[in-house]
Amino acid sequence: MRYGVLLVDDDPSVRHTVSRILKSAHVNIKSVTSGRECLKELERGFKGLILMDIVMPEMDGWDTIKEIVDRGRYKDIIICMLTGKEEPDIKMDRLKEYVLDYIRKPFDTIKFVELVKEYLSYLK
Amino acid sequence: MPSPNIIVIGASAGGPRILKELFTGMPPLNASIVIVQHMPKFVNESLCESLSRCTEMRVSVAQNGEQLERKKVYVAPSEVHLTLVDNQKVWLFNGERVNFACPSIDVTMGSLQKILGIGVVGVILTGMGKDGADGIRHIKKIGGTTIAQDEKTSIIYGMPKEACETGAIDFVLSPKLIMNKLIELVGVV
Repeated sequence: MRYGVLLVDDDPSVRHTVSRILKSAHVNIKSVTSGRECLKELERGFKGLILMDIVMPEMDGWDTIKEIVDRGRYKDIIICMLTGKEEPDIKMDRLKEYVLDYIRKPFDTIKFVELVKEYLSYLK
Repeated sequence: MPSPNIIVIGASAGGPRILKELFTGMPPLNASIVIVQHMPKFVNESLCESLSRCTEMRVSVAQNGEQLERKKVYVAPSEVHLTLVDNQKVWLFNGERVNFACPSIDVTMGSLQKILGIGVVGVILTGMGKDGADGIRHIKKIGGTTIAQDEKTSIIYGMPKEACETGAIDFVLSPKLIMNKLIELVGVV
């Protein structure tokens, strides 16, 4: 199975930029605009690396992760936060076992692609 | 022959990439190294493989009852706590989360004892929360050496900051300098 990346971010410019970077690095990426859509993708069987924004309307990144865990969908996925938020809030403390990394925007493109590929290699 | 030195390294979010930086080029140390990284279980083996590519030391998931050997790195398996019996033998057990984590860094570090002839080092790397702070306090109390990752290189400074605030941290360093300090403290074989 070829694992891909699921980008969850409400900002269209972030979705566009990150998708372009990863596609040009031959990484299979799909992007969605909200936590609800992320959950739908998991229901459809997505397996791979989730790059999760924190600040999103209705359901933030932490609430989305909690929902993933509560629904028993935390299988064959790695979650990394991808955010402009400098410091994580206290909600993360209870969810830290499910968050492997915390990547801040803006990021160094080469290092970002290396990191994504490294985490994809964890899934096999 | 018992390992002459035990190093326990605790890490949470961002840990895999900081560990990689820390272990890149690390020579075989005159110590057993135990890593407690908060992570999902299916990542355990992948992390070992990733770190194996960085260092000459053998890296594996710790097994219950395993006797620690020097020049080896042991990764604590997820979903159980890891303690060390007489600083030498791995004991895994099911238990409630401590600091919202299982395994907990505090549980592993807290199991270490003051034993003549066995040096103890505790290291706290990047991560959210306060896991490891009590463990660091304990290691200092039993005469060990304590190190925290510096703020500049920490992906999340929460855990190193909590460790520093105990007043029990001896050195605050970047990953590369932590490697150098470990070499200085335990030596190379």
